[in-house]
Amino acid sequence: MEQLLDAALFSSTLRVVTPILLAALGGAICSRVGLFNVALEGFVLVGAFSGIVGNYLFGNVWLAVLFAVLCVMLFSLIFGYLSINLNANPIVVGISLNFLATGMTTFLLRAIFNVKGAYYDNEMVGLPKWEIPLIKDIPWVGDVISGQSPLVYLAFILMFVLQFYLFKTVSGFRLRSVGENPVAAKSIGIKVRKHQYSAVLACGVLCGLAGAQLSLGQVTMFTEGMTAGRGFIALVATMLGQANPFGVMASSLLFGFMDAFGIRLQGLAIPSHFTQMLPYIVTLIAMFFFKDRSYMQDALKAGGSSR
Amino acid sequence: MLLQMKNITKHYGNVTANQAVNFDLGEGEVHALVGENGAGKTTLMRILYGMEQPSSGSVQVKGNNVSFDNPASAMASGIGMVHQHFMLFPSFTVAENIVIGREPTVGGVFDRNKAAALVEELGEKYGMPVDPWAVVSECPMGMQQRVEILKVLYQGADIIILDEPTGALTPLEVKELLVNIKSLALQGKSFIIITHKLHEVMEVSDRITVLRDGQVTGTLAASDTDVEQLSRLMVGRELVSIVKKDVEPGEAVLEVKGLGIRGPKGKALLKDIHLEVRAGEVVGIAGISGNGQSELIQAISGLRSIDEGKVQLSGVDIQGMDVRDIREQGLAHIPEDRYLWGAAKDATVLDNGLMGHHHKLKRRGLVKGKEARTKVTEWIKQFGIKAGTVDNNVQNLSGGNLQKLIAAREFAHDSHLLIAAEPTRGVDIGAMEIIHTELIRKRDAGVGVLLVSSELTEILQLSDRIVVMYEGEIAGEISAMDATEEKISLLMSGGNRQT
Amino acid sequence: MSIIKQSLRGLIQPLIAVIIGLIAGAIAILVVGGSVTETYMEMWKGAFGSFYFTTNTLARATPIILAGLGVALAFRAGFFNMGADGQMILGGLSAALTAIYLPGPGWLVLVVSIIAGIVTGGLWSFFAGWLDAKFGMNLLITTLLLNYIATLFAGYMVAYPFMDKTGSAAMAQSAMIDQSVWLPKLFQGMGLHAGFIIAIVAAVLLYFFMKKTVMGYEIRMLGNNPLFASYGGVKRGRMMMIAMLVSGGLAGLAGAGEVLGTQYRFLDGSMTSANYAWSGIMATLLANSHPIGTAVAAILLAALQTGAMGVERNTDVPLEVASVIQAVLTLFVSAKIGYAIWKRRKGKKTNGTTT
Repeated sequence: MEQLLDAALFSSTLRVVTPILLAALGGAICSRVGLFNVALEGFVLVGAFSGIVGNYLFGNVWLAVLFAVLCVMLFSLIFGYLSINLNANPIVVGISLNFLATGMTTFLLRAIFNVKGAYYDNEMVGLPKWEIPLIKDIPWVGDVISGQSPLVYLAFILMFVLQFYLFKTVSGFRLRSVGENPVAAKSIGIKVRKHQYSAVLACGVLCGLAGAQLSLGQVTMFTEGMTAGRGFIALVATMLGQANPFGVMASSLLFGFMDAFGIRLQGLAIPSHFTQMLPYIVTLIAMFFFKDRSYMQDALKAGGSSR
Repeated sequence: MLLQMKNITKHYGNVTANQAVNFDLGEGEVHALVGENGAGKTTLMRILYGMEQPSSGSVQVKGNNVSFDNPASAMASGIGMVHQHFMLFPSFTVAENIVIGREPTVGGVFDRNKAAALVEELGEKYGMPVDPWAVVSECPMGMQQRVEILKVLYQGADIIILDEPTGALTPLEVKELLVNIKSLALQGKSFIIITHKLHEVMEVSDRITVLRDGQVTGTLAASDTDVEQLSRLMVGRELVSIVKKDVEPGEAVLEVKGLGIRGPKGKALLKDIHLEVRAGEVVGIAGISGNGQSELIQAISGLRSIDEGKVQLSGVDIQGMDVRDIREQGLAHIPEDRYLWGAAKDATVLDNGLMGHHHKLKRRGLVKGKEARTKVTEWIKQFGIKAGTVDNNVQNLSGGNLQKLIAAREFAHDSHLLIAAEPTRGVDIGAMEIIHTELIRKRDAGVGVLLVSSELTEILQLSDRIVVMYEGEIAGEISAMDATEEKISLLMSGGNRQT
Repeated sequence: MSIIKQSLRGLIQPLIAVIIGLIAGAIAILVVGGSVTETYMEMWKGAFGSFYFTTNTLARATPIILAGLGVALAFRAGFFNMGADGQMILGGLSAALTAIYLPGPGWLVLVVSIIAGIVTGGLWSFFAGWLDAKFGMNLLITTLLLNYIATLFAGYMVAYPFMDKTGSAAMAQSAMIDQSVWLPKLFQGMGLHAGFIIAIVAAVLLYFFMKKTVMGYEIRMLGNNPLFASYGGVKRGRMMMIAMLVSGGLAGLAGAGEVLGTQYRFLDGSMTSANYAWSGIMATLLANSHPIGTAVAAILLAALQTGAMGVERNTDVPLEVASVIQAVLTLFVSAKIGYAIWKRRKGKKTNGTTT
């Protein structure tokens, strides 16, 4: 057991938690303006793919990250337009966008790289690993924290930034008011749509980063459907964390740890099928302990707002 | 004049909501706008507040022509509106709710301490003290109303529109509000009050404008008129008076004994309720909405589980039974909110009419389509429901017609007990008369009717006995003979409790 | 509005959606440097160009129809059942194992295997419904997560305890099912099997069930306004579990049909990679959960997919072009739903708002 729980496990936890945390923060912003974003999975997938494409096009990993962010922002605008302007059911839009993300990435994988299933180029340079001075020399802590990709650090910084933004700034206050009571927000002249769009775009940025970490962070490659439900796990993390950045981080860390633990267990005699199941099972168990709002309240809300 | 609205006309498709309406307001004046549901009061005020644009006509503020595309521009001209359904953020504090949109900041950061100080100061200045740090969802309705008014004042409004401001308040809170309005008017603020409660109008306003069917039927000084004249102007004809047969009430059809329900945090929503409804009588439940009436109805109809006590329908214990079994035991139920509980918006008139009857119209698991059609078509004729065909979507029906459909559906049951919760809320007079007449006909035929209404006039008009609810308890019971508006009001605000 | 006009309008929307999807496909074709007309010609040929291709398309449509019908039922009741994939896989697995290991006459084993598939898929789906009804766990998310667990579990079953050890290749698959248990083919030498008939019958039955039966009425009202339904005596928890049971049962039937009619064994990953379940969900979204419409949309999607295989055989355009067309189509239709809501809101305002 001690061998299982060594520093490398926690280090890889930080690595695998990053895409989940980033996407979950994106989900949190969306839920703060009253949009339940089921399309996180698709957003991250587009980010992962465009990260690789950007790297291929520009030969520079930083431009690749930027490209991924821009692509997902563009993609998130579709979500925004359909669910904000056309008032479509965000869940249906989210499901359809996940289809679109899968469809486009498989098609473009074929069209651009002429491969099926996965693209891998060993000459492609992924994200660097940053050694943090001072911290890297602390025995156990250094092994865990230092030597991660910059996006890992960025994710945690963004978490604090978001916490500060939502609860301390005027702009964050107004953004929350939009999710709390859009009719009231509109009645005092707050631009509801503008805030909703900003939230969706911010979610796009975060998911772009999440995707980039996924495809450029460890092994530099893209495989079809490589998000493998992480977007949905992120969605659960958003719900468990009640759309509070700190809470979202806590629940993301739990899932990330289980993910890493599962990967670690694969070295043992347990069939990989079961170790891979671990994060999904843990997510289900976590949902069990978290009581979702009852359908009565949801329906009351829906009924009230449509009158 | 501070404000003048001239010749305002507003068409929605081929419906005319306002026809050449003139309306003005002086500084420090309280001007009431009265009329029945659908008379066009709210439309006129939405135009003034920039939420709607008039089809024709002009608006002048302080002598300048203005046209508002949105509430923000109306606000900029010093017009503020307190909506009937409060526009508050329940999880935010009082101060946050008041300063939102014009928040004090320190270096881009929301300065909540300063906001609280500003709000405290504002409350003192206008004689409406509030606790700036209280969370709004935990404030009583009267306090929420105060927060709404302070918000409008904070925004710098000189003209304040109050849309049905007393609907959710206790009589005591109403008194306080009227005092506040008068004192603010003395400080130079001007008020437009939209309401249909004529006694309040007489008490607080300087002038009164009456609207009927979108047209002004009179603008009068409060000192020159009385309630009778105003109601004539509002209705335009004599109301059908309700004639009740002398029926000796029969056996108890509903018996509630020691009923108690606790909310999610263990807070008692209903406490030790004892209630009896006998065949052939109307028992009216009066009270400000939110004092446990909804929970009581849900408990009786099986939509909510009971923590303590007993409910019997025609002598049969029904606690723990599900909705369908209770209905089959002899319950019909006009729900309190027609859109929330009473209808499926995207379904047809037929489907909406079928609910609750669908097991009676079943043969080998199939719905008897023809019979259902005939039935619903009959109701449409009988109650004069403007519904097109039975295949029309109910979202195309007006509120009054949908309410008539729902009422007709429930009247059609051969029930022992009929719950009628807010049966005429927000419907026009025609629909109200039809529903009232039918309720009394049911009573005369020996059905026990439990009428729940926040409209005192409705309660007084129809009930044989009146039970008043306050904070989840029964505050008192009065027979129709002895009931006066004053007595009930007192009980409604928790004063003079008796058992 | 007259009935003719209304039904015309009903036809125009899907037609526009198809056209938009084809335009998106054309853009994709141009991106990879193909000829649009040639590609679409090949696509048509690949889907319906001959009797063989047509039956091939219908064979592919079979599991999509069944999975789609299951989803349609759940959607109508207001439950976002996203677990068709896992339900189908477990249905297929249990049908395969029953067919391989249950002794007895072929026809009986076949029937029992199909029932085993239905029951397994139904129970897996019921589990999610139970979690929601009992513990308030969001159905949309649980069904998605259960997909991964089902897929991995089925993979384990055929990689370890029930792996086919006779074959030379070390593939994760079960043994072959005996020929006597196979679902009969409808035409000699063609892929189309009796499962297609079952699927069409299921679509018609579901249509009548939703439209004519009391339970169908209750399900529709529940999806429309759950509070109204419970006020009228519909038991939500019970309905949810029934709806999920049937919904998963149909997905399980899809899996069983695929195993017993086409593959004759359970091969790990074959159903997921063919995207049957997700195509079924798309079909449901396209048809707005109308059972007959779902069947038609499923055939359309299957045609796109088999057509795209023809495209890949005969041109340089990759078959993935089909997934772009499908996704754009679905997206457009979901936007149309929004358009309707938007129009309704405007309509409501014009009724005059006075409260």
